Amino acid sequence: MRPGIEEILKKVRIYELPQRAVSMVDMSTPLGEVYRLLDEEHSVAVLVLEEKKLVGIFTERDILYRTALEGDPATPIGELMTRDAVTLRPDDRLAEAIAVMTEKGIRHLPIVSAKGETGLIGGRDVLRLIADYYPETVLNLPPRLNQKMSRPEGG
Amino acid sequence: MLCPNCGIDNIPGEDSCESCGTDLAGLDLPEAGSGFRGRMLSDRIGDLRLSPAVTVAPDCTVEEAIQRMRQARSGCVLVADGGELLGIFNERHVLTRVLRETRDPAATAITEVMSAGPLALSPEDPPAHAVHCMVDYGFRHLPVVADGKILGYVSVRNILDYIHTDLSVR
Repeated sequence: MRPGIEEILKKVRIYELPQRAVSMVDMSTPLGEVYRLLDEEHSVAVLVLEEKKLVGIFTERDILYRTALEGDPATPIGELMTRDAVTLRPDDRLAEAIAVMTEKGIRHLPIVSAKGETGLIGGRDVLRLIADYYPETVLNLPPRLNQKMSRPEGG
Repeated sequence: MLCPNCGIDNIPGEDSCESCGTDLAGLDLPEAGSGFRGRMLSDRIGDLRLSPAVTVAPDCTVEEAIQRMRQARSGCVLVADGGELLGIFNERHVLTRVLRETRDPAATAITEVMSAGPLALSPEDPPAHAVHCMVDYGFRHLPVVADGKILGYVSVRNILDYIHTDLSVR
């Protein structure tokens, strides 16, 4: 019998997920440049590195809460980033990532290896794993009659 | 087919595990609907904890919408006219439709930057359908509508909570 999703989530390690795009900057990078990177690289967060070590993170949520109406594009991101972000390691299990995301309300988790390599995973990466594991359940549902599904709008 | 005892992958249909001899007869029947996969199909989104809808009128400015999102700690606003869902605007749109276009948030109506006619779910829909939409279309927030009323929205976070709760109690 195929292992249940519970077993998979407790076994799969974070490094087994596809790498998500994440931009890396240093503390002096201006906010305006961070906006450009997040936009053009289709990423949800920048990781701020100093001498190749992770020192902070700045996400789309920070734009909404703190800079959308009052941000100065010239401000160095080091003054705006979140320090001491919760991180996980690439060999941590996916179940641990889910626990941290739900219990701490964090949606995007920086991943830092023992060698200092950095990456990012988010809630949708977990959902994609579940969809891939249960394609007949999630991805092959029959279309609903009352929806036109060429390319729906949404957010 | 994996042996539940030693984990060795056996040829489907084998009566006993080639490695440890465990009886495998009957184990390769289709997974019963009681597992998580079954619950993803049989549960209803209406029974999950939904995020409360943060709703604004069509003539609301972008600045007001952002302030409502901040107050409510919500990643999206729903734009509605007399209860009818017209559009959705989320935090990514702040970057791609307001900041990128250097629009003045105080002088821009939310209807100019929202996604109009958004995909909405029914409370009768299963969680699997929400996961499908989030993965296939990249949506993070799905309004839930019934009988012309907006009941709230289901987010990636709500689905993760559902998964986490399901894993924790079983």
